[in-house]
Amino acid sequence: MKEYAVLAKDHIKVDVLEKVMGTAKFAADYRMPNMLYGGVFRSKVPHAIVKKLDMEKARALPGVACVLDHTAIPGKNRFGIIFKDEPCLVDDKVRRYGDAIAVVAAETPELVDEALDLIEVEYEELEAVSSFERAMEEDSPKVHGDTNVNVRKHLEYGNVDEAWAKCDVIVENTYSTHILSHMFIEPDAGLAYLDEQGIMNVIVSTQNAHYDRNEVAAMLSVPQNRVRVKQAVTGGGFGGKLDISVQLHCALMALYTKRPVKMVRSRSESTMVSSKRHPLTMKCKTGATKDGKLVAVDCVMTCDAGAYSSYAPAVIGRAPVHIVGPYECPNVRCDAVFVYTNNPMCGAFRGFGVPQAAVCHEGQMNALAKALHMSPLEIRMINAQKVGSVIPTGQKLTESVGFLDTLIQARDKAAEVMPEALDRLTKV
Amino acid sequence: MNKIIVHCTVNHKPVAVETAPNKRLLDMLREDLNLTSVKEGCGEGECGACTVIFNGEPVTSCCVLAGQAEGAEIITLEGISPDGKPDAVQQAFMESGAVQCGFCTPGMILTAEALLAKNPDPSEEEVKLALSGNLCRCTGYAKIVEAVLLAAARRREEAQA
Repeated sequence: MKEYAVLAKDHIKVDVLEKVMGTAKFAADYRMPNMLYGGVFRSKVPHAIVKKLDMEKARALPGVACVLDHTAIPGKNRFGIIFKDEPCLVDDKVRRYGDAIAVVAAETPELVDEALDLIEVEYEELEAVSSFERAMEEDSPKVHGDTNVNVRKHLEYGNVDEAWAKCDVIVENTYSTHILSHMFIEPDAGLAYLDEQGIMNVIVSTQNAHYDRNEVAAMLSVPQNRVRVKQAVTGGGFGGKLDISVQLHCALMALYTKRPVKMVRSRSESTMVSSKRHPLTMKCKTGATKDGKLVAVDCVMTCDAGAYSSYAPAVIGRAPVHIVGPYECPNVRCDAVFVYTNNPMCGAFRGFGVPQAAVCHEGQMNALAKALHMSPLEIRMINAQKVGSVIPTGQKLTESVGFLDTLIQARDKAAEVMPEALDRLTKV
Repeated sequence: MNKIIVHCTVNHKPVAVETAPNKRLLDMLREDLNLTSVKEGCGEGECGACTVIFNGEPVTSCCVLAGQAEGAEIITLEGISPDGKPDAVQQAFMESGAVQCGFCTPGMILTAEALLAKNPDPSEEEVKLALSGNLCRCTGYAKIVEAVLLAAARRREEAQA
C-alpha cells in the first residue's frame, strides 16, 4: 500500500494540548471588565397571545442594567437557518413552551434571576397543537400563517403502482422514531460586546459562526462587516448548535447597555429550547420477488417538526431519498409532510433524517427476509448497491460504493469475534 | 449577603478565598480563583464535568457548597502538571484520541488521576467503574478507557526503571 503523509498514521489533534491542560477557552470561560450577565424571560405556556407584559418592577431593581422586549429590536425580529420564522423576542404570539419574551442584563447572575421573577405577563391562551394529526385537521389553530404544513416533499422513481404485480411478497409496516435531545455536554453560552470601532463582537459556543453573523447583523440592522462572530472552543453540538442560541440576546443587550453581556444557559434551559431530532412516522410498503430482489418501496412519511422550521427543509430532503437505504430498488415513491405544532422545535441532528429512515428500511429488509425464509444477511447482500447501481434520485453510482465489501468483512469479523450474533444474521 | 472566607489548599497552595456563602465550590473555583478548567455541564452531579480531587477523592464540585471546602485539599486540572507539561494521563489522552470536544476532559483526567493514585494497576473493569460518573457525549468511552490503561502502564514502567 502506498505511504501517505497523513492517511493510515496516528496523529495528535491540533487543539488537544490546550484541552488536556485545561487552558482551552470555552464560551463560559470568557469574562471581561465591566461585564453584565444576561437571562431570558420565557413563556410558561405553549400557545398564547401576550396581552400584557409588565417589566417595570424588574427595571427598578438596583443592579439591573436593562430589561428589553421585542420593541427594542432595531432590525429584523425573525430568524432561522432556512425559513425566517422564529422571533428573537416574541411579538405576535407565543408558539412553544420556553419562547423568549424578554431579556434581562444585570450585575450578577443572582440579580438576573431576581429581575426575571419580577416580570409579569398576562396571556390569552390558545389551543396548543400537539400532534401531527391535529395540525393537519382543517379546524386546528394555525401555528404560523394559514396552514400548519411546514414543508412537503414528493419522490417518484420508476412506476410503483405497476410494480406490485411483479412482487411475490409484500410487507407493510409503520415505524415511528422519537424526538431526541442532542445533550451536548457544554450548555450553550456566549458573550457579546461592542468594541472601540463600534463593531459588535460575539464569542459563542456554535457550529455556525457565519450564519450567526448574518442573523446578528439583520437583527441589529447593520451591515455584516459591523458584526464579528468568534466560535469559542465548542463542547459538542451534533447539529444542536447550528441554530441561534444566545447570540441575538447577548448582542441586543450589549447594544443597549454598551457593556459586555455574557449568557450561560443552565442544562434545563438548554434542553428546553435547543433543537431536537425530528420524530418520523414512516408507513412503508415494500415488495420483492421470491429470489429476494427488491421491486418497489412506497412510503408515507409524516413529522411533527415543532414550533419553528429550523432544518426541517433539509431533513425532509434527505430522509425520503434514503428511504430504500443502501439497496437497489427500481420503483420508489415517498410522500413526506412535516408540520408546525406547538411542540419543541426540531432541527439538525447527526444525519439529517437519514438515521430515522434507516429504522424503516432495515425493518422492512428483516420483514422481507422473514416472509421469504431468507437470512437477514442474504437479503441485504442480494440487494446491496454497488458501482453502477442507480439510486431513487436517478443518479448512477460510478465509484466508491463500499457497502457489499463492508458486509462481507463484517461477516468474516463477526465469525471470529461474535459467532452467536452472526448466527442470528445468517440463519433463516 | 455577608461574605465568608474559606481557607483551603488549592493546587498545592494554601489560599483564603473571600466568597459568598451561597456559592458552590464550582463557582468559587471558576469565578473567585479563575480556575476555568472546572466545567459546569449539568449542575446536579450527574455529568462529572465539574469533577475536582477533594481530599483525594473525585468529587462533583457543583454539589459542594464553597463553605464545605474549609480545610480541604483541592486539586483541579491546573494543579496536575504545574510545570506546564502534560503528565502521563494527559499525554495518554492526547495520544489515544481520548479527546474530542474536550469539555468532559478535565473531569475525566482528574477522575483517572484519583483512581491511579490509589490503584496503579487497575483492570479495564475498574477503570470503567471509576469513570462511570463522568459523561462524554463525543467519544463513546473506548479511547478514554484505553488512555487511562496506557497511562497506568507507563507509570508502572517508570516506577520500575
